[in-house]
Amino acid sequence: MFRILHDTKIDFIQYWKITTAITLLFVVPGLILLAFSGYRYSIEFTGGTLMQISFKQAPDVAKIRSTIAEAGIPSAEIAQFGAPNEFVIRAQNPDAVAEQAQGSEAVKEEISAALTREFGQNSFEIISSGTVSPKVGGELRQKAALAVIISFFITLGYLAYRFEWRFGLASVIATSHDILATLVFIRYLHLEISLIVVGGVLTMIGYSLNDTIIIFDRVREDLRKKRKESLKDTLNRAVNETLPRSVLTHATTAATLIALAILGGPVIRPFALVMIFGVVTGTFSSIYVAPVILLWIEHRWPRKAGERGLMGGGAALSSETGRSASSRKERSVAATR
Amino acid sequence: MANLRNRIILLVVLIAASIFALWPRSVSIRERNSAGVFHDTSFTRVPLKLGLDLKGGMHLALEVDDSKQAVANKSEAIDRALKVVRNRIDEFGVAEPVVQKVGSDRIIVELPGVTDPERARSLVERSAFLQFQITDKTGAFDKAIPRIDQILKSAGHTAAAAPSATPGADTGGRSAITSLFSPADSDRAKKDSSSADSAGADTGLLAGTTGGAFSSLIQPGQMPGEYFVADENVPRVTQYLALPAVRAALPPGKTIHWGQPDTEGPDVTALYVVDTKPIITGEYLHEAKPGTDPIEGNIVQFTLTTEGGRRFRQETSRHIGDYMAIVLDDRVMGRPPVIQSAIGTRGQITMRGQPLQKTQDLALVLNAGALPVPLKVVESRQIGASLGQDSIRDGIRAGILGVALVVLIMVGYYRFSGVLAVAALTLYLLFTLAVLAGFSATLTLPGIAGLVLSIGMAVDANVLIFERIREELVRGKTVRTSIDEGFKHALPAIIDSNVSTILTALVLYQFGTGPIKGFAVTLIAGICASMVSAIFVVRTFYILWLQRTHRPQTLSI
Repeated sequence: MFRILHDTKIDFIQYWKITTAITLLFVVPGLILLAFSGYRYSIEFTGGTLMQISFKQAPDVAKIRSTIAEAGIPSAEIAQFGAPNEFVIRAQNPDAVAEQAQGSEAVKEEISAALTREFGQNSFEIISSGTVSPKVGGELRQKAALAVIISFFITLGYLAYRFEWRFGLASVIATSHDILATLVFIRYLHLEISLIVVGGVLTMIGYSLNDTIIIFDRVREDLRKKRKESLKDTLNRAVNETLPRSVLTHATTAATLIALAILGGPVIRPFALVMIFGVVTGTFSSIYVAPVILLWIEHRWPRKAGERGLMGGGAALSSETGRSASSRKERSVAATR
Repeated sequence: MANLRNRIILLVVLIAASIFALWPRSVSIRERNSAGVFHDTSFTRVPLKLGLDLKGGMHLALEVDDSKQAVANKSEAIDRALKVVRNRIDEFGVAEPVVQKVGSDRIIVELPGVTDPERARSLVERSAFLQFQITDKTGAFDKAIPRIDQILKSAGHTAAAAPSATPGADTGGRSAITSLFSPADSDRAKKDSSSADSAGADTGLLAGTTGGAFSSLIQPGQMPGEYFVADENVPRVTQYLALPAVRAALPPGKTIHWGQPDTEGPDVTALYVVDTKPIITGEYLHEAKPGTDPIEGNIVQFTLTTEGGRRFRQETSRHIGDYMAIVLDDRVMGRPPVIQSAIGTRGQITMRGQPLQKTQDLALVLNAGALPVPLKVVESRQIGASLGQDSIRDGIRAGILGVALVVLIMVGYYRFSGVLAVAALTLYLLFTLAVLAGFSATLTLPGIAGLVLSIGMAVDANVLIFERIREELVRGKTVRTSIDEGFKHALPAIIDSNVSTILTALVLYQFGTGPIKGFAVTLIAGICASMVSAIFVVRTFYILWLQRTHRPQTLSI
C-alpha cells in the first residue's frame, strides 16, 4: 500500500512563537482595516433597484447580461418575466447603498444608458422601477452571530462532557481564531458579503471544529496509554499520527473547492475562496492554535491531584501526582469490568 | 450470518426508501370552489425543485387590500406582513423563495418551480385570522328574518324570481358581493334573473316553506345560531346578506359566518350567527400542528400560550352549555362543539374531510401568524431563471470535476477500499437528496456547490477508518481483525466531531432565520447521511467481501 507522511516525528508545537506572530500579523491589520472601512454587502442584504423593462423585439438574454456586466454593474440579476421580450432586473451599487435606500435612481440610469448603447434608442421601454428591500431580513446577521455564540457554549459543554473542559475551551478558542481570520480574509479580498459567503463561513466553522476534535481524539487515546511523556509530546504525537488523515481529507476537500473556484463562475467563486481559506486556517488552528492554547490552559490551571480526569486517563497530563491518580482510576475501572 | 443478512436488508430498505422519496409523483385533489362546485386539480409533484436562479418560477405581486378595511400606515403594515409571508412559504428555510418589499406598498413573492399556483396564492393571500366565538342562543336572527324578507320584497326580490346563480358559474361568491354594492349592477342582476329561475323553484321545494325571499332559502339547524342553506343557494344568500339594507337589519352585536363546505354530507352549507366579540383570538396561539383523528379525520391541534390559556379557561367557564364556533378568516371550521367544562390551553380544529395538504397548510399559516393587513395578489406571472445558461453550465461542470477529483484521489490512494468508499459516497448523495426531498427543499446553484463540497468532506469518515485499518495492518494483525479494530478505533473521533457539528447546526436552526435555517437542515442531513454511509454501508461492503473471499491474506487499502 502506498502511504504518505506516516510515522513522521515532526515537532510542530516548537514553532508556536512564529505561528502566533503570523496569526497576529494577519489578523490585526485586517481588524484595523475593518474598523476604518467595512464590508461590501450584496443586494441580498442591501436591497437595491428593481426595474421591469419591455423590449420591442425579444432580445438575446445572454447579451443583456453581458451588456449590464460590462457597464460596471456587478451581480445584477436578470430574469425573463412572463413574455419573452420582458425582463426584471435587480441591481445595486455596493458603493452607494445609503443613497439607494432613499430611492436613488442612479443604477437605473446606468443600466438604461448601457442598454441604449447596445440595443439602440427606443428599442426598449422601462415599465416600472422602484427600490427593493433586502431579500433577507435585517435580523439575519444578528441572529446568525447569536447562534454561533450560543453554539460555542453548547460545543464547550459537549466537549467538556466527552473530553474535559480544557479541551472544550481550547477547541472553541481555535474556532474563534478561524472565524476572525476568515472575516479578515474576506475584507482583504474585498469580497461581497452575500448569503453564499455567510454559508461558506458557517461551513468553515464546522470543518475547523472537526479538525481540532480529530486531533484531540488522538490525544485522548494516547493519554490513556499512559506513556511517560509530557503533554507537549503527546500533542505532537497526536498531530503526527493524524497527519495522513489530515492530508487526505484536506486534499479531497481542497480538490472540490479548487474546481469550484476556477470553473464555478462568479456565483460560486466567493464561496469556494472563503472555504479554501477555511481549510487552510482550520488546519493551521488545529495544529498551532488548539494544542498551544491547551498547553497554556494546562499551565495556567494545572490539574489538581485526584481531579476527575480525561476519560480515566486525563489526570496523567503533566504532574506525577496526576499520573498516579489516573492509574488508580484505571485500576478501579478494570475492577468493575 | 444473520448479522450480515440484517445489514443487507436494512441497506436495501434505506435505498428503496430514498428512491421512493425522490420519485416524482402525481397528486390529485378534489375540492370545492367558492361557488360550491367540485373540481379536480391534478399536478405532478417532483420532490426536488430547481431554484429561481436555475429554473425560475412564479412571481406574485401583493398589495394591501383596501376594500376590506382602511389601513393607516401601509408601509409599516407591509413590513410586518412581509415577515409573516416569509415564514409561511419557507417553513424550514430550504424553499429558497424571494420575498421583498418594493417601494413602500408592495410585496413581491417569487416561488421556485411552483406547480400549484392556486395553493401558492392561497398561502400568501390568506389572512389566517383565528377567533373563537359563541354561537347566538337568543334567537336574534330568527326575529330578524321576517324583516329581511320585507326588505328584499320592497327591493323587488321574491322567492320565485330571485336572481339565481347557476351552480358552477364562476361569478358566485365574492364577485357577486362586489357587484351588489352599486345599485346599477343590482338592476342588471334582476334582469338576468328572469331568464334563469329554475334553480329558485328547486330551492323552494327543498326549504319546504314558501313566502319570503330569504326565509325560503334557509332552514334552522340543530344548535342555537345554526342554519342550513342548500349549496346552490349559497351565492344568493351571500348576495342578500351583503345588501346594505339587509345588513342594517341584522341583530346588533352578532356576526354571520358561513361554515365549511362539507365534502361528504348532504349538499347543504351551514350558516352560523355568533357573538361579534370573540372570547379569544389567534394572537394567543402558541403552536399548531397537523394530525389525524379516528373520528374527525384530518385535524389541526393547537396549544395556546399560558396567558391565552388563562383567558380561555375563564371565558369558557362562563359559557358552559354554549356552542363555540372556531372561526378562521370569517369561516366557521367544523361544527361548533358544545362547551362541557372550562377548556385550558389545548384544542383542535376539524377539517371536515379536507385533504392532508390543506391541514398542513392551515397549521403552517397559523404558526406563521395572522397577516396584519389583508393582502391581494395584483399580478401573477412566470419568471425565468435569474442566472444565465453559461453560469449554470460553469457551475455544473465545476461540480462534476470536483466530484471526479474526489473519486480519483480516493481510488488512487486506497485502491479497492477506495472503490468501496466511492460506492458508499454514491449512496451518501442519494440519502442526502432523499432527506432534502422530505423537507421539500429547492436546489439552487449555491446549494449544488455545497453538495459537491460536502462530498469532499464526507470522505473524512472513510479516511479516518481506512487510516486506522492501515495502522492495524502495519502492526501485523489479520485482515479481518484489522477491519474490526479500524472501525472500532475510528468511531469515537467520527462521532464526537459529527455530534459537535450537529449541535452547532441545531443551534443555527433554532436561532437562525430563513436561509440560515436551510443551511442547518442541509448540514444535518449531510452529516447523518455521511455517518450512515461511512460507518454502516462501508462496513457492510467489507463484511460481504470477507464472506466471498475466504480468509483473505491482504487487503487493498
